[in-house]
Amino acid sequence: MTINRPGKTKDEAPQQAARSNRLEAGTFPYMLILPSIAVILLVVGFPLLYSLYVSFTPYELLRPNSLNFTLGKALRNYEKLLNDAIFWRSLGNTIIFLAISVNLSYLLSLALSQLLARVTAGQSILRTLLMVPMMFAPILVGMQFRWFFNASVGLVNNFLYSLGLIQAQGQIAWLVDVPLGMFSIIVASVWMNIPVLTIILLAGTLSLPAETFEAAEVDGASGWQKFRFITFPLLAPFSYIALTIMSLDIARAFDIVRIMTDGGPAHRTEMLWTYITRLSIENTKFGLGSAMSWVTVSLSVLFTLYFFRQLVKARIVR
Amino acid sequence: MLIRRLFFVILALALLITVAAAQDEPQYAGLDMDLSGITIKMANIGGGTYEAMYESIPIFEEATGATVEIVALLDGFAIDQKLKVDFATGAADYDVAWDHTSFVAQYTPFLLPLQDHFSEEELAPFSPAILDAATIDGNLYLIPRHADISPIHYRKDLYEDEAIAAAYMDATGEALEVPTTLEQIDHQARFFVENGHSTYGYTLAGRDEALNGRFYEMVFASGGAMFDENWEPVFNDEIGVAVAEMLHGWYRDGIIPADTTSLVWDGVAAYFCNGDTAIKLEWYGWYAYFQDPNNCPAISENFGLARGFTGLSLGGDAVRPSGWAGAHAFSVPATAPNPQAGIQLIKFLSSERVAYEEAQLGYLPTRDDVWDRVIDDAAASDRSLDRERLELAKLQVAEDFKTPPLIAEWIPFSNILYPKVQAIMLGDIGAQEGLDQAAAETRELMADAGYYD
Amino acid sequence: MITRSVGPNRRRNDRIWNAVAWVVMLALALPAFWIIMTAFRPNSEVNTFPPVWIPQRLTLEAYANMFGLNPEVQQRVAVEAYLRNSLLASGISTIVAVSLGTLAGYAFARFRFRFHTGLFLGIMLSRAVPGVALSLPLFLLFNRAGLVNNVLGLALVYVAVNIPFTAWLMDGFFRQIPQELTESAYIDGCGYWSAFWRIELPLSLPGLATAAIFAFLAAWNEFQIVSVLARNNAAKTFPPGLFAFTEQFTVDWRGMAAMSVIMMVPAVIFVILVQRNLVSGLTFGAVKG
Repeated sequence: MTINRPGKTKDEAPQQAARSNRLEAGTFPYMLILPSIAVILLVVGFPLLYSLYVSFTPYELLRPNSLNFTLGKALRNYEKLLNDAIFWRSLGNTIIFLAISVNLSYLLSLALSQLLARVTAGQSILRTLLMVPMMFAPILVGMQFRWFFNASVGLVNNFLYSLGLIQAQGQIAWLVDVPLGMFSIIVASVWMNIPVLTIILLAGTLSLPAETFEAAEVDGASGWQKFRFITFPLLAPFSYIALTIMSLDIARAFDIVRIMTDGGPAHRTEMLWTYITRLSIENTKFGLGSAMSWVTVSLSVLFTLYFFRQLVKARIVR
Repeated sequence: MLIRRLFFVILALALLITVAAAQDEPQYAGLDMDLSGITIKMANIGGGTYEAMYESIPIFEEATGATVEIVALLDGFAIDQKLKVDFATGAADYDVAWDHTSFVAQYTPFLLPLQDHFSEEELAPFSPAILDAATIDGNLYLIPRHADISPIHYRKDLYEDEAIAAAYMDATGEALEVPTTLEQIDHQARFFVENGHSTYGYTLAGRDEALNGRFYEMVFASGGAMFDENWEPVFNDEIGVAVAEMLHGWYRDGIIPADTTSLVWDGVAAYFCNGDTAIKLEWYGWYAYFQDPNNCPAISENFGLARGFTGLSLGGDAVRPSGWAGAHAFSVPATAPNPQAGIQLIKFLSSERVAYEEAQLGYLPTRDDVWDRVIDDAAASDRSLDRERLELAKLQVAEDFKTPPLIAEWIPFSNILYPKVQAIMLGDIGAQEGLDQAAAETRELMADAGYYD
Repeated sequence: MITRSVGPNRRRNDRIWNAVAWVVMLALALPAFWIIMTAFRPNSEVNTFPPVWIPQRLTLEAYANMFGLNPEVQQRVAVEAYLRNSLLASGISTIVAVSLGTLAGYAFARFRFRFHTGLFLGIMLSRAVPGVALSLPLFLLFNRAGLVNNVLGLALVYVAVNIPFTAWLMDGFFRQIPQELTESAYIDGCGYWSAFWRIELPLSLPGLATAAIFAFLAAWNEFQIVSVLARNNAAKTFPPGLFAFTEQFTVDWRGMAAMSVIMMVPAVIFVILVQRNLVSGLTFGAVKG
């Protein structure tokens, strides 16, 4: 990630004042939060603990007796994972995918937001167009792009054919070849990520104080300089909100991968999510799948935690 | 003139069949028990024409006094998941369950053995090959419903064009005939593509268990096997390697589509439907679809069927016709509350009459008596292929029917092998090396499952 | 605001920027346009090569097939069941999640208490747990409670999934409301609860709407968990229904497009309705209270 830490624009005093504005109210706030915590513990916490336990057993769905914990064999699943070349490959693919997809989504959204901020005519129609990808469920995004990238009747190959760039039907197997498979999935996920990111960055850009730019113009700053040294740093809190929201939902990309390639062919696009499903449901090796789930959960949580921390640091004080 | 004569022939045939049928109506079975007050629960496959069979159930209810409650109607994949999960959690509270020869081995600890509940006479009409596939460790776990096996489908115009045949003779020194061996398919497919007669020479499903099945089929047709008698993986021998190398060559040279590894059944069918592929194996179930000019103008009335190919000749005397096959079936869960009533319902649903009615929808029967009936019926059709296909199917089911190994590890094993076959096909890894790796992983899977203890 | 270059070139520059923006945004929206058009084209134009770019004729065939109005086609899709389940699971879970999440968000915005940050972070991070890691353990546990293949069980899961984001959004909204109002209410003798109920909640209604729409769409679109928890049409929602359809008919692109269009309807309505709120709603988190 290439985001500059924002300079502290205001002094610390109001921040402390803001904090002290919060009231002491005995147990009242706990009563407000309790139902939420209860539901989350029941639906997320408890199953996760259960799967942690299962990850230390050799449990297979169709062998009920295999759900037994023996201390000596507790780490067997984790050991297996460490020695599993496909696990490492899927971990590597997941990291590559996330790194490229998140950065590319962010950069494109940043560019789009700057473009839209300059538009003088048709703002509202353009913003509606911007929100079009939001109307697609991730599973629909996956299906749509699986079709677009289909080798024999897909939109992309048809288009290239009509332009005369390819000569025959099915000449480019987008979802098969390296690195086109990964590329296709990344295109789909970036398309899905762009609207929310751009909306936030656009709102941020439009809220920046005009005086700062006027001062910079007096100093003769170029457009790029204004962006690099004023807009971009001031956008930091908005960037982190955008990235936090994206990281919360990053596993939605599973739907896309599941549908476009299901990790194939030959594990070329295998990711942690697809591999977990294959192991724990299709192969019924729930113990092993749970061990992998925990790797994935840790990765997602760390990812979110990182952006969230950055966000808290970068928040604008009013 | 001809048409009129044909008309009379057909009319006569139809009359004959009607008379014959009147004398020998197919009979129901399983109605000879009083089941008053019993509710039989059934979890079954649903969707499409699968559900037509269940319309006969009121006859059973009336005769026996039982009430039949269908607790689930799901597609095959979903019902497999449901059974797995219900069995795993002890929740299978139904008396009749869908089953399939490729899946049954996973469920055997949770199913009731049926051999003591069916007399020899009752089992006699069923194809022995299918009953074999339904028997594991001497226990009969399922009663077949209908069968699946693939003949060769080929584009007829390519084989009827004398110019193509002459050019083929010049190029290869062989006569251009409908292929019977895998080597012929290899030569012809390459010839068709290289000379622009067809976009692709061959097409096959390239992912999931579908690819595994097709690979398995090419290997056993060439005299090879997936496992030896001790469940040691042996698909990495010279036969497996030769098949894998052939697939790689086909992919590399554009004999099969570039997106083969994304294709499952209907993707494969679409390539044939469009007339883009010359030869392939395909299930009988697509027949009506291909013949319909609204769906497939390119091949309607322009394709033929042939028995499965025999494999690569390096297999010597062990080569045999292909015939990866399976059958939909019924089982009784071990936890069924009314197993006896469930068995009666199965006897009814697999009876000659019900099976015949289902076979009329196009499914391949598993009973010989039903076979004779549908073949007689097809004789009335004015398209000779309608009849020939049934005779061919009957031959294939009787002689070539071969299920995957009946082990619970078949699907996990598939998930090890098919990505390696894909990798070999795509050229990510050499054939020998890829199959060796898959064999090592398979060995670990089998060892974990206790096969070598 | 970004200031624009002043001078004789300004007008021309603006025009160029506008044109670029239009081209880019149209390209972004193009796939949706293509999907909608495909849903209404005859199959012979969709599955053909060389491609037919301009529709020669429009037809409702795909929908006739889907709803079982075409006797020749067997592939009837249980759209009614999916619609019912999707509406129930998304609707119920949205109401509950927004209620609970609003309470939690209010607590975080207004009050000081021990574990403030820890609880907030904990709730947020629960949202980061991927569905694939949750679906199977949830299934096994729900199975014992009779919540499998049950729309209410599904709604319960979506409540948990949607609380964190709602709490976050509402925390941001409440922090924007000037506290003087509430304080004067306290002086007038209002308790915490009635101050919240009578003064702050009505002021936060725009935020509530944004949160509700996000919650509804998240539940409407969810796939990973429902595909394990729903065993048949008694609980299947659109995403697993659509998935099963495309697994069965992997090359029926037009059918896929037709079903996508149906599934997109609520999203289109909501996005148009909240377009304005969306922007402010999403950026409130940028401000520290």
